[in-house]
Amino acid sequence: MMRVVSAQNTEKLAFAGLWLCAAIVILPVLGIIVVLAWRGASALSWDLIGGGPHSLLAPIVGTILLVALTGLIAAPLGVAAAVYLSEYSRGGTLVRLIRLAIVNLAGVPSVVYGLFGLALFVVLFQFGRSLLAGACTLALLVLPLVISTSEEALRQVPGSLRHASLALGASQWQTVRRVVLPNALPGIITGLILSIGRAAGETAPILFTAAFYSLTDPFPNSLLDPILVLPYQLFVMTTEVPNVAPATKWATAFVLLAIVLGMNLVAVILRARLRGSRRW
Amino acid sequence: MRSSIARAWEWLIESAIRLAGVLAIIFVLLIFAFLLRDALPTFAEQTPLSGLLGGHEWRPTSEPAQFGMLPLILGSLYVTVGALVIAVPLGLGCAIFVAEIAPPWMREILKPTVEVLAAIPSVVYGFLGLLMIGPWLADVFGLPIGQFAALGSLLLAFMAIPTIVSISEDALRNVPVALRDSSLALGATRWQTIVRVIVPAARSGLIAASLLGLARAIGETMTVLMVTGNAPVMPRALLGFLRPIRTMTATIAAEMGEAAHGSSHYHALFAIGLVLFVITFLINTVADVVVRRAGGVQT
Amino acid sequence: MPDSQPENILRPPGEIKLETKDLDMYYGNFQALTNVSIAMPSRRITALIGPSGCGKSSFLRCLNRMNDVIEQARVDGQVLLDGRDIYSEDTDVVALRKRVGMVFQRPNPFPMSIYENVAYGPRLHTTARGAELDEIVERSLHAAALWDEVKDKLPQTATDLSGGQQQRLCIARVLAVEPEVVLMDEPCSALDPTATFRIEELMTELMENYTIVIVTHNMYQASRVSQYTGFFLMGEMIEYNHTEQIFENPADKRTDDYVRGRFG
Repeated sequence: MMRVVSAQNTEKLAFAGLWLCAAIVILPVLGIIVVLAWRGASALSWDLIGGGPHSLLAPIVGTILLVALTGLIAAPLGVAAAVYLSEYSRGGTLVRLIRLAIVNLAGVPSVVYGLFGLALFVVLFQFGRSLLAGACTLALLVLPLVISTSEEALRQVPGSLRHASLALGASQWQTVRRVVLPNALPGIITGLILSIGRAAGETAPILFTAAFYSLTDPFPNSLLDPILVLPYQLFVMTTEVPNVAPATKWATAFVLLAIVLGMNLVAVILRARLRGSRRW
Repeated sequence: MRSSIARAWEWLIESAIRLAGVLAIIFVLLIFAFLLRDALPTFAEQTPLSGLLGGHEWRPTSEPAQFGMLPLILGSLYVTVGALVIAVPLGLGCAIFVAEIAPPWMREILKPTVEVLAAIPSVVYGFLGLLMIGPWLADVFGLPIGQFAALGSLLLAFMAIPTIVSISEDALRNVPVALRDSSLALGATRWQTIVRVIVPAARSGLIAASLLGLARAIGETMTVLMVTGNAPVMPRALLGFLRPIRTMTATIAAEMGEAAHGSSHYHALFAIGLVLFVITFLINTVADVVVRRAGGVQT
Repeated sequence: MPDSQPENILRPPGEIKLETKDLDMYYGNFQALTNVSIAMPSRRITALIGPSGCGKSSFLRCLNRMNDVIEQARVDGQVLLDGRDIYSEDTDVVALRKRVGMVFQRPNPFPMSIYENVAYGPRLHTTARGAELDEIVERSLHAAALWDEVKDKLPQTATDLSGGQQQRLCIARVLAVEPEVVLMDEPCSALDPTATFRIEELMTELMENYTIVIVTHNMYQASRVSQYTGFFLMGEMIEYNHTEQIFENPADKRTDDYVRGRFG
């Protein structure tokens, strides 16, 4: 009798501990969002969005340009690789190596990507510290994410559709182009949005490849110009530049978080709506 | 009709697709090659190797420059181990919670929360740590400065938890229902079932989850750069957790801006990058092998 | 291995469209088909019956090389279309599948409009566009006995149709490619009796212009619809003859047992 009671008590204690774990994880997130929203949003003013020093306009524009270019570079490479893995590969050592490589690329520290970008794009290709070098570096960083989300989207297309197309005398590529890709496209786009959302928040890869801090000439004139971006702006204002008003820093942090979380939210909503409207 | 032009075009496209497939391998090799190329001069200059990896002094700007990486390696170690001490129990706890006992409404709250945790940019974590959490903790614990190793560990833990939770949860879900049912049918409580049957059965997935969390923590840059202070010195036992420190990643980020291209300092920073790359490569490969051995939890 | 082949395998008179010679098929180490040699005549319906798992679907997929899509599938022997081996080195598989079309067990229309489903093949293989393409689509839908039901809703998504309509759409899709042979893999097994009846009627109409080979586990369907029937058991062709012979006077005891429902 005693032993049974004790086991049940142990369970109650353990489960309380698990609930505590959940709470410990949830509360800080809520705290972060609340604090940033409260101190950041209230610090936003038209001044900050519009002109004036430390205006957020240039970093926002820079971030948009950077992630757009990153997406343009990463998308064809990543989707093509996903098509290979999903439609053309046939198991065996090569595919295992490719997947191992993807896992490793996903695990490379972001600052190491920065080093690689520096050595290859900035120095060897002579792009210099530029929008282009930064986008190339970030494209590499998000490539594993693009590949895995695209591959999942492709695999969702049922095999019966591929068989129907092949049985009508279509070639493998025609089947991919006319049946598989169009049906996987919404899922692929969702993955792309997630990927550039990730890219928007990254700092280390662009520390030496693209970002700079300037009060006088914040907008790039070409692909080979350096740019202001939100994460680097926040970093520099917090650690290097003296005499920046706290309000400005909080507003920058808030806008950055809002953009990144906003893009993730868009992707999540898209994904949920996709599941609902599946046509097969 | 399939003309020969159409066929040639199709062959071209399919070749491009095959090439894209092996891109991942090419890029991994390229990264390694470029890191090695720019790190090599350091290995040539600083002999023996133990002097580089084991040297106690990291003074790149003094005359003569000293490139002992040990303080940085230890710095990374302290921060990472501290992070895992917090993240693994919490992450595992959350995973067990979600997989085994959470009511549906709670699951609907916890899963998005974890995704948000993962999405918060590291510079934002650093910002909050530097401006708010660090000073507050220094106040409460009477520390000399609001930037110290344990603060980095705390923030890193929350950045690693999403990785640990999602992979652990997958591993737990993959345990066959039959195992769970047999244990319950034998009169075990749910908790006993979890501890004695489910967790051991999911063991390799859980280990892989922790390894990947480890890799995530070691590779983090901006947060540790901003909150762990700027002191590339040897940490002193447990007290080191409460004092400023420098990780490998933060060193690269902090000093690359000042290292002249092609100088010894420049090469030394690449050497650190190479060490980082090799460490994370090993961890990721081991984690992958562990998962494969167990029969495949998708990472 | 008892070689009952020559005795109980009829070679039908007249023109032979499709013929297999000593066909073996393997999935990895498992032999799915052994030494199958039968001749399927032009413009007739040949039915293949047998218990589940006996290899009849695998056999069907050899006839248009759809087994190529399966990684571990391997084929030995010959399949002759109009006398030429489709497994020879220089066969254009894509062109083959134009000549030998296939309707699958579960209707699998593309998630596109009804029109686009039928137009899929002609868009690939012909230069017909616009009015010419419209004509092909209409003709194919007529031939599949579906035109009257869908003529006002061609732009609608095909997956909104009922099961039976979807299957007839898949038939129309195949006919649009103008094949010579139509293979049907248990085309009615996912459909209700009314839809089944309509497709059986359709098959009899199609027979005038196409060679049809149908796999079915429904013996009554085979006896209603086909002129020749082959009985498969464990990867071997046990008996192949006029349909009446197979059902009323089978030569092999195993055939007799099966058609009398003594095992399924």
